[in-house]
Amino acid sequence: MSKQINVALIGNPNTGKTSVFNSLTGLNQKVGNYPGITVEKKEGICKLPRGVKAHIIDLPGTYSLNASSLDENVVIELLLNKNDKDFPDVAVVVSDVENLKRNLLLFTQIKDLEIPTILVINMSDRMKYKGISLDIPYLESELKTKIALISTRKNEGIDNLKDLIFNYKDLSISPCLNASDIDRNYFDNLRKAFPNQLLYKLWLVITQDVNFGKTDRNVIDAVADFKTKTKADLKRLQQKETVKRYQFINNTLKKGQTIDLSTAKDIRIKLDRILTHKIWGYAIFLVILLTIFQAIYDWSAIPMDFIDSSFASLSEWTKNSLPEGAFTSLLAEGIIPGLGGIVIFIPQIAFLFLFISVLEESGYMSRVVFLMDRGMRRFGLSGKSVVPLISGTACAIPAIMATRNIESWKERLITILVTPFTTCSARLPVYLIIISLVIPEGRFLGLGYQALTLMLLYLIGFGAALISAMILNKVLKIKSKSFFVVEMPNYKLPLIKNVALTVVEKTKSFVFGAGKIILAISIVLWFLASYGPGEEFNNAEEIVTEKFASENLSEEELQKKIASQKLEYSFIGITGRAIEPAIRPLGYDWKIGIAIVSSFAAREVFVGTLATIYSVGSEEEETIKNRMAGEVNPILGGPLFNFASGISLLLFYAFAMQCMSTLAIVKRETNSWKWPVLQLVLMSAFAYVVAFIAYQILI
Amino acid sequence: MNDFLQNILAFTLLFLALGFLVKKFFWKNSKPKKGLGKHDCDNCH
Repeated sequence: MSKQINVALIGNPNTGKTSVFNSLTGLNQKVGNYPGITVEKKEGICKLPRGVKAHIIDLPGTYSLNASSLDENVVIELLLNKNDKDFPDVAVVVSDVENLKRNLLLFTQIKDLEIPTILVINMSDRMKYKGISLDIPYLESELKTKIALISTRKNEGIDNLKDLIFNYKDLSISPCLNASDIDRNYFDNLRKAFPNQLLYKLWLVITQDVNFGKTDRNVIDAVADFKTKTKADLKRLQQKETVKRYQFINNTLKKGQTIDLSTAKDIRIKLDRILTHKIWGYAIFLVILLTIFQAIYDWSAIPMDFIDSSFASLSEWTKNSLPEGAFTSLLAEGIIPGLGGIVIFIPQIAFLFLFISVLEESGYMSRVVFLMDRGMRRFGLSGKSVVPLISGTACAIPAIMATRNIESWKERLITILVTPFTTCSARLPVYLIIISLVIPEGRFLGLGYQALTLMLLYLIGFGAALISAMILNKVLKIKSKSFFVVEMPNYKLPLIKNVALTVVEKTKSFVFGAGKIILAISIVLWFLASYGPGEEFNNAEEIVTEKFASENLSEEELQKKIASQKLEYSFIGITGRAIEPAIRPLGYDWKIGIAIVSSFAAREVFVGTLATIYSVGSEEEETIKNRMAGEVNPILGGPLFNFASGISLLLFYAFAMQCMSTLAIVKRETNSWKWPVLQLVLMSAFAYVVAFIAYQILI
Repeated sequence: MNDFLQNILAFTLLFLALGFLVKKFFWKNSKPKKGLGKHDCDNCH
């Protein structure tokens, strides 16, 4: 059996750690969670010479080993617990050539834990633009390590890094800083009390609230009780440690790094001035958003039409080719249309993630965070809330988890509560199908009405999030400190590989995550729509034939009437009609009501549900859109999906808390049912009222 | 394929679907879950 080396990839945020991870592992990676918590865990396998494999864990980005958030804590928990199965044989600390001084703080801390450590200096291709030169042999001897100078962008130095990992046993484990230098007396006492423990490890345990694995608990509990200093004294010692480390780093870099600004060719400052400008910054952001939404519509039209008609043909082919019976009907009227309802949105979702990923990779998203901070404060949010609010356009669940880096509890809670207002990708299918049905195709100043409506819905989502944040800020009586630090990475051309991986991963998780639920719900719905209790359902054929005997209907019309009667008296029809009085004032019929109820599991189920309900009993090959367009309002006549009911539905979905998974994650993140229940009740009530007003005004 | 077989297949799929949905939304996860509450944040800062 070949040997496996455990490698921990550690580094400050924005050092290109994930790019290094992607370069080392390629597609041999998987994403999971750390047990018991929802911090993402990325691991992968890297093939080294002589059949040796490296198991690489991409740990969450952290600035130091003094944890201030749960994901930073993950790094320390792993590095301090030798009994953890993932404890690294070698730590690879990724740094960015332009921020070496700050990045080395974390490096020296890890080095002092006496773990073999490799220093990766990434973005070496930027050196010439910045006028930076490095004396690698000198740095290696001062930092007592091996350095890999790499550029993930140009794919340079990766093989050297692999060699260093392969030969990790040659690395020195001597520390950069003698822990006793921080405070001689204190550390002497500590050494006497725990003679067999590594001093710096003890120090980290004492100064931090580390949740330890069970194996080391005895030692750690004892250390945690080692109180010879007050909390304030310990803080002072911690600051002294940081100062000592920076003294060491400054001395090392004084000789090891030269920066000649006269040779630098940097345009970053000029770009920053424009992109974070008080007026131009916002204007450019708005133009970028407009372009994105227009492109999503224009580029997706052809593949979407193709997918829609392919599923309609597949459904028709299944019905004609397989023997008649329950299973064939289930396939043709339940599963295939239900799946079609999700697959059709792949092009738009892929394009949305493509744009978000390009904005993040290019470094522009950090400028947006900075730009928004000032405005966000007025609403009781922090600049860091922009990240969850923007990630919320993909899915509220990771977005809510992303609030963990917001230091103030109050700001974090408000962000968690308002994030579900942002337009998530699950709303996208609902919006797209309704917009295509009720908004005309014309253009205004080159922008389609439909694209503008979609953008407006996104803005309404953000607006609702901001206004509710402002209200919550006034209502919630929580005292919490607030500060804002954001890193401005350099502008860079997005790496195609990283963008492609993000698009594939996000689209895959959307299709397979939501797809499974939609498939299951489609099957259940088909049964509920195809079976029913009582005479009205079981004798539908006789009842309808008798009822229309005098009208001389063609065979086709008669079959339609029978299908309609069966659907109305099926289990789903009975349920739908029971809730109809509550939704009628919003302009919806019972079929839409069923779709709303079933989409409480996940919003995207809405389209699949309607596709399934409208397919049951239908003999014709039709696309989802055509079927919906053909629905007639049973009371008022005319199309069921008209401008008034369409806008009412769009607004209902913009505000309603139609997502069980989000409620579950809010409960988990806030440790209380109070907040998700409040979210559900208030958001649903608000959505109902807004949809009601919109319909009554527009009708 | 006769009616009997068609029904068996269709109902098998129904039970699989129901089982999946129950597991997804109503099954209690036995793993200990550690959330980040007010206590944790304010201790850190």
